[in-house]
Amino acid sequence: MIVLPLRVRPSGKESLLFANDAGQFFQGDRAFLRRYAFDELTAEDISFLSERGQAFDDIDSLGFASHLHGCARRITSPTTLDYLILVPTLRCNLACSYCQVSRASLESRGYDWSDETLAAVLTLIDRLDAGAVKLEFQGGEPTLRPDLIASVIERCERFADKSFVICTNLSCLDEDVMRIFDRPDVLISTSLDGSEFTHQQNRTATAEKTRTFFANLEFVLDRYGPDKVSALPTLDPLNPPQVETLVEAFASRRLPSIYLRPINYQGFARKRHPDSRAQDDRWREYYESFVQAIIARNWSDPSIVLEETYLSLCLRRIFQPGHDRHVDLRNPNPVGRDYIVIDHDGVVYPTDEARMLARSGVVDLAIGHVASGWDTEQRAVLDCASTNQFDPDCQRCTYQPFCGRDLVDDLARYGRIDVPRRETEFCRRHLHVFDFAFRLIYSDDPATRYSLARWLDLGGDLPDLAVSR
Amino acid sequence: MIPLTLQARSDAPAPFVTRLSCSQAGGVDVSRLQAEANDTLLFAGDQGLIEIVGQPSAALDGDVVLVDPGAESAHRLLRAGSRHNTLMVTERCDQLCIMCSQPPKKTHQDRFAYFERACLLAAHGETIGLSGGEPTLYKERLLAFLEYVIERRPDLSFHVLTNGQHFEEAEIDRLADRRFRNVVWGIPLYAAEPSLHDQIVAKSGAFLRLERSLRHLIMAGARVELRTVVLQPNWTALDALACHVTTYLRFVEQWSIMQLENIGFARGRWSALYVDPSAEFGPLAQAIDRALLFGVRPALFNFPRCSVPQPYRKFAIASISDWKQKFAPDCCSCAERSDCSGFFEWHPQELLEKVVPI
Repeated sequence: MIVLPLRVRPSGKESLLFANDAGQFFQGDRAFLRRYAFDELTAEDISFLSERGQAFDDIDSLGFASHLHGCARRITSPTTLDYLILVPTLRCNLACSYCQVSRASLESRGYDWSDETLAAVLTLIDRLDAGAVKLEFQGGEPTLRPDLIASVIERCERFADKSFVICTNLSCLDEDVMRIFDRPDVLISTSLDGSEFTHQQNRTATAEKTRTFFANLEFVLDRYGPDKVSALPTLDPLNPPQVETLVEAFASRRLPSIYLRPINYQGFARKRHPDSRAQDDRWREYYESFVQAIIARNWSDPSIVLEETYLSLCLRRIFQPGHDRHVDLRNPNPVGRDYIVIDHDGVVYPTDEARMLARSGVVDLAIGHVASGWDTEQRAVLDCASTNQFDPDCQRCTYQPFCGRDLVDDLARYGRIDVPRRETEFCRRHLHVFDFAFRLIYSDDPATRYSLARWLDLGGDLPDLAVSR
Repeated sequence: MIPLTLQARSDAPAPFVTRLSCSQAGGVDVSRLQAEANDTLLFAGDQGLIEIVGQPSAALDGDVVLVDPGAESAHRLLRAGSRHNTLMVTERCDQLCIMCSQPPKKTHQDRFAYFERACLLAAHGETIGLSGGEPTLYKERLLAFLEYVIERRPDLSFHVLTNGQHFEEAEIDRLADRRFRNVVWGIPLYAAEPSLHDQIVAKSGAFLRLERSLRHLIMAGARVELRTVVLQPNWTALDALACHVTTYLRFVEQWSIMQLENIGFARGRWSALYVDPSAEFGPLAQAIDRALLFGVRPALFNFPRCSVPQPYRKFAIASISDWKQKFAPDCCSCAERSDCSGFFEWHPQELLEKVVPI
């Protein structure tokens, strides 16, 4: 009999969470842990483990083959470049206090794609060898250059399956912009920090710009419905908005997905919000109370199911291998393979955060240029560190099969990538999210189970997992 | 019903495969329409003349047929525009499932040579079904056929229905070949309890043999669709099966849960086997949710959409082949008819009256 190696983590007061390398998990108690550690498993233990894919007769069995397959499925294997983040301009008509890219002012010159850069982007699109493509326009404020957006979209006609995301502050909805928004394959992504007061404080600065933003948000929601529009709040962890106010800002607009995102320690934020380098327990408490609030709201008002986007992603990754297209959380997280960022000057970065770091003058993580390519030594150097697979902390962590690697985040916060994993903000944040997720998974509160089932897209109730050892 | 075998005469000395064409476009193995009069079509090609009775030419244009002069028939192997073309490899089988829709026969006629010709004439990008009986009783011929055709026509895909009783460790490397990326093996599994599965397929040891085959298929990186027919004997064991599938068989591309077909053995045993999903859907809902939770993609075959509760309706696909599909009179007003499986031609009439148009 083969019993798989198990990783263990306390889960609640008396229970422990056990998981194998494929991410199959169960709860057990201290007595079981003792039997497991001292090789004193009973026949009942063995049969319990067998039923959960944790023990097998021999290595030629279906169970073991399935386990190997499960381990392999936990490893991201990007195929082809099919996701481009494009920055047609770094100029912006707002000046948010935590702007991660240190945007350029509206009048400045030299921060838009040149003709040569546009031509190189179009050539790149012609060479893409993917059936489905996703292009995301970032900035600056990309709608300052609708002509560039339109040129790119036009060039994608040959793809049967394509989607475009315009990340915009919604300050301008002129004719050219509306022509782009009206396309059924275009999605609108904007920022919504909560109440008008908070939004103005953080972003729009003047009452007039605030009115324009909220009017335009209502306008696109009316015109297209909430399926086409998403909004993200950026929160000051030291001074977060009231949970109820924030929830209602989204619920009242029928926007179901809320990505509770603390200020990213990038760009202007490094100077103006130095405390965003690390989140403390207060932020984690806020996060949990926010999730508990939407659980209660979902239970009392089933007409809309609100979710915290990142928690939903983590839950899906716990149960289901293969959710590897969220590029902030996957492992390995290969550099410059299935997605790249093309900046306003044509420079290619592995991630949006990498371009922010370069812009802040912290470290230049450019891997190439859109005209000359990015199969470079710089990419190879970064790629060496793009996995958590052999990290001594991660190898022992119950959550490794679900977790990811973000070397750019390490560089942003610490200027190095060899800080012991448990000392990093990335690790602390994810240990917390996964601990929290498992508390929810093993909760017997009907409201919690209802929300979990909706977030995981089930038709009915959450299946029973409660059997433990 | 759409007829699959046509009354036909030919001057050819032996059976042959050809594509019927109403246009004058060129191509090998094409028989062009020469005349159409009095219910009779005359086609001519390199292999001889064909006279077909009883069909308008437009209905047959582009079909790939096997003309058998001796039997005075033309069998429509690949109907143009159909998504349900299936080639019957054999009528022999080594299981005797209690609800078998096509009870096996003892005799076997090897038609692989015709299938090869037909597949080379198939429309671009077509998915072709291979069924039986049990196709892997002729495994060597079957694998060689798939390799031969896919090598020449990499645009084609195949779906092979097999009981999975014959895959061997020694075949892992062969099945790992890139050509088999174009092949999905549709394999039935009826219960997680070995004795219950064996009882349903009427073969002792079938479950354990199937597990061995599935193990080899995982190691080969094969593509597998799991199939479960819902029956009274396995109805309450569905959640246990879902646990088994989500623990051991997460590699499958799809878990197709299927409603019974009232033909073959099932016709005589209908009252002992049939489960009415509109009366009770609970066990099925639970199984689907468990599959979804663990990332196994479920699909419901042969479930009319009005028999499925709304949250699960999106999984009920139009699975019944065009040639044996029918609808109830009330279905006319249904908004989801075009996405619905409808009913098998031979579905009990009184059950058709239970439809509730959506």
